[in-house]
Parts: sequence; C-alpha cells; structure tokens
Amino acid sequence: MNIQRNILTKYLSGGLLGLLIALPAVSSTQEFTAEREKYPKFEREKTVYKVAPGKWKGARLEDGQPDVQGQWSNTISNHTNFTDPQGATPGEKPRTPLGPRSERAPSRVIDPVDGQIPFQPWARALQQEYLKNFSDPIKPEYVEPLARCAPGGPSKSFMWHGYEIRQYPGYVLFLFDSGSRLIQVSDKKNLEKKPHLNQKIKLWNGDSRGYWEGNTLVVEVKNNNSKSRFGRTGEFSGTETSIQERFIFDNNGERYSYQATYTDPTVFTRPWTLEIPARRVEKFAEDGWNNQLAIAQHDGKELILEAYEQICTENNGGFGGGAVIGGASAAIH
Amino acid sequence: MNTLVYKQPISERQRGVGFSLLLGFLLSSLIATNVGAAEKIPRLKGKPDFSGIWQTTSAADYDLEPHSPRIDAPPGPGVVEGGEIPYLPQALAQRKKNFENRHTADPRLKGWTLGVPRGIYYPEPFQIFQRARDITILHQFGHSVRTIHTNNTRHPEDPNDWWLGDSRGKWDGDTLVVDVKHFNDETWLDRSGNYHSDALHVVERWKFLDANTLEYKATISDKKVFSRPWDIRVILHRHREKNFQLVEDYRYTLDYDQYYPYPAERAPAASQQATAPVKK
Repeated sequence: MNIQRNILTKYLSGGLLGLLIALPAVSSTQEFTAEREKYPKFEREKTVYKVAPGKWKGARLEDGQPDVQGQWSNTISNHTNFTDPQGATPGEKPRTPLGPRSERAPSRVIDPVDGQIPFQPWARALQQEYLKNFSDPIKPEYVEPLARCAPGGPSKSFMWHGYEIRQYPGYVLFLFDSGSRLIQVSDKKNLEKKPHLNQKIKLWNGDSRGYWEGNTLVVEVKNNNSKSRFGRTGEFSGTETSIQERFIFDNNGERYSYQATYTDPTVFTRPWTLEIPARRVEKFAEDGWNNQLAIAQHDGKELILEAYEQICTENNGGFGGGAVIGGASAAIH
Repeated sequence: MNTLVYKQPISERQRGVGFSLLLGFLLSSLIATNVGAAEKIPRLKGKPDFSGIWQTTSAADYDLEPHSPRIDAPPGPGVVEGGEIPYLPQALAQRKKNFENRHTADPRLKGWTLGVPRGIYYPEPFQIFQRARDITILHQFGHSVRTIHTNNTRHPEDPNDWWLGDSRGKWDGDTLVVDVKHFNDETWLDRSGNYHSDALHVVERWKFLDANTLEYKATISDKKVFSRPWDIRVILHRHREKNFQLVEDYRYTLDYDQYYPYPAERAPAASQQATAPVKK
C-alpha cells in the first residue's frame, strides 16, 4: 500500500534536494497531504468491468500466491437495492431522480439472465414482506442486520464500505468495515487436507477454503448461517447454503470481479450467481466510504497510507449498542 | 576436567594449551547450543516470526491480581509484578464498584472488543499474521482486528479514541517492543473490574521463549487511575492441534440472530406445507 511519490526525481532537477532534506518532519506531512489532494474522486460506474479467468502475470508472494494486497471497493453501489444496484430501495424516495432502467448498472444477478434470484414461491413472498417493512420495521426480523453492525456475510461485505486484503502464506485475510474474514488457501490438490468445520457450526461469514487457479481465487464457503441479507431489498439465503466464490483479478492489478454461486435447495429453485466488480482505491481521494485511509506519520519520503480501527457495534449506540445490552448476552460465561 | 589435568605429568605450557583447548571446546559448544536455540525460532526477513495461533493458560483474565477461588473465578497467583495494581485512592473505589457489578458491567458480556492488553490474555485463541511492515492480531471476536505497525511510522498526532488504541512496534534485538496509546475508557483489564481511563498507555514486549512459547510483558500507565506504571507478564502457547483454527465469535449478535434469515416458525418446511409444490 506504500505509494512511491518519486519525490527525489521530482526535486533533483530543480536543485531543491538539499532544502527538502533539511525540512522538519511536519513538512513531509504537508507534502503528503498536498500530493494526496491531487488524487481523483472515486466515481461510481454504470457498467460492469469484466475480467476473464486466465493466467496471472503480476507480482507473487513468497508462497506463490498472486499479490493482490491493498484497499479495494466496489464500483457500482452499496446494498440499497440488490437487483437494481443504482436504483433506490422500492418504496423509498431516490436521492436524485432516476432515469430509465437501461441507464443504470445491471442487476448483480448474472445467472439466471433475467437478473432475478430464483426464489421458491414462499421465499419470494417472504422477501417481498421484508422489503415492504424495511423502512418501518415493526418486527425484529424486519431490521436489516447490517444496521445492527452484524457482519455482512460472504457477499454483502463486498458491497459496503471499502475493505482491505492482506495475504500471508496459506491465508487471504479480508478486513471489512463490519468484521473480518479469513480464507485458508492451499493448492487445489491439497484442499482435502484442510476440511471445513463440522457443519453443526454456522457462522455469519461461513468457513472458507480456497485455492488459486491462475488469476482466480476459487473459494468454497460452507458453515453459512445465512443471517445477512443481500440488500435492503430483503433478499436472503438459507441455512443449507453453500457458496462457490471466484475472485478474478485483472492483470492490470487495479480491478477484480467477484462472482459467487449460491446453492440452497431449501430456498432457491436452482443455483444462481451474482457479480460485484471492484477496484483499488489507494490512488483515489479519501471519501469516508470507499477510501477511508489516513496519511501515516513518518520521516521517510514516501507517502504511506494506513487504515484506522474499524469497529462498528461498540460505536453504534443508537442502533446495535442499544439493541444488544442485556438479554441473551447477559447469560454468557 | 581437573582429574584430566592433574593426573598427567605435563608441563605448565602443555597444561595451559590443554586447558585453553578444553575451555575453547566448552565455550564453543555452549555458543553452538545457544545459536542452535536461536535458530529454532521461526523468522521472517531476519526478525522473529510470531505467526500462529496463540493462547494463554493463565487465569489472568479472571483477575490480574493474586486471588483465591470464588464462585465466578478459579484461583490464580496473579500476573502483576509485585502482586498489586497501584490504584489512586479514588480509582480504587471505582474498581471496587466494578467488582460488585462485574456480572452485568463487564464489557466482555456484550461481546465487545476487549482492548489492549486484555485481548491477549483473554482465555480464547487469537491469531498473529506477520509481514515486514506490520503485525495483525485477529481475535475470535472478528471485528476486533489490531494492527501493530512496524514500518517506522509514528502514532497519529490527533488525539483519537480507539477500542484497541494505536500500536507502533520496533524490534529490540529479538524482542518486539510495542507502544500503544490513543485509547478510549470503555474497556476493562479483566473480568474482576480492573480498569483504565482514556489516558491508558501500554508498552508491550513480545519475545520467543522457544518456538512454541511466547513471553508477553506489558507496562501499564494511566495517570488518571494509577499512582505509577506497573507490569504484567503472561506466557502464550502455540496451538498445535491438527487443523486447529479460529472460529469467528460475533456474540454481540446473539440477542437478535434468532430472527435471521427468518424466525424459526417461518422456516422452509413449515412454509412449504402452506404453499403449492415447488417446481424444480
């Protein structure tokens, strides 16, 4: 995440190098700030940037994994509306007037081609009920769990704030605005040596095992509690859900496509697939959403950006904090 | 050694040479043993590599100070150097109040971020991930992720108010020394009600005792609560069970998780009975 400013080259020709070295540390910070102010705003895109599976030609880590570390964010929208990502939540007034559907980004559902989740009838009816009651929740199940700082789960986490990927031998670690997720990575042939947790254990972020295939990180997610919703439009999955994810990284190092196939015969009539496009945010302006990075204090000559602590429920007094005091938690050991 | 030297009628010079050789041999084996031990700890770019899943076996989280058994805590010899936390008089009154209210007031009961140093000796596993630029501490409370920056950066200048503080580490030989400040006053130090204010300042010292054991020391200062800095020391053991892994623990969601993805009475089996057969 260190961004080289190549400041030496920049000032050598002007004969200012000596002056620069003599400057106190505070000037460095001002320089970094000035440099960063030139970064463009991270703009939402109306089309989905496509990345094809193939070879990885970029940098690798010592254990052979493609090096995709850094700060990322989705390019389309947050979870306001799952199948019409740049539309408003039905029943709520859009912030700006909406034009025709064709002028907005397509549905996140790429299979089936109609862009809709193939819900069984009872599940479709329940989704519609959730949607209808979201803005004025009169029952606990009508409150969107992310509003209570619950983890976003395997897919929703990628359509919320910007997030960080850190990699280590055998691991890919995601740090989200609401929680974290660890993927155990091995060679495809060694996957069975790292069995999933017992299926009695159900987790907000599931239990993830993955392997790299060229530019693609393929992940099997099991042990899903499926308690997170896909959007404020109420779409959900079930407790028998298994997910196959494909993180397809562009060799330009700037983009990737997240695709996830959901299978759950108790909720859907057939497996279906969603896609969320993402790009790096380090070289975009700090905007409190996609890029929440701060300038690190140091005496060196390179701009270093760092993420501060992201903790939701403890800081969310009116929502999650108030909702969880007492009750079941008081009985915990 | 003496037997060998004095049984043989040898000259002073020969005796000297023999003694020197023997001493040299002993010294070199001693050095070799030490080097061997040092080489056995895992390293990353020359520095000790703390990567792994760790956990204390101490009773520190029940009460940092020495304590007899009680209904909610096993006995413990304490991990505070000198045995007693040096509270200021007024702060001691608050600590006693916390103890009385510990069954409801301990932030741990809400599944909230435990803070520093408590997260380290809380009796659950945590995982360390290490790169040259930083060390990441991931707790089972999966929203509590701490970064120790080891890239020669300083604390931010602005006074911040964080649950885990701001951690900047430097290597002192094979010991990682971490300066942590910019805390809030919301976390406790243990489940007996030992506490701190937002003036908390922690200096940690992490080092290997052997490849599977870490020594963790922390010097705790807080001019609003304690009369002087005080030290704790715990041992952390590496989890070596086959396929051992962290299991995320977002227990702060337990009060409402029964309502998702739908309440039990609306589970598919019940719902499907009430609807037409589903087309496959």
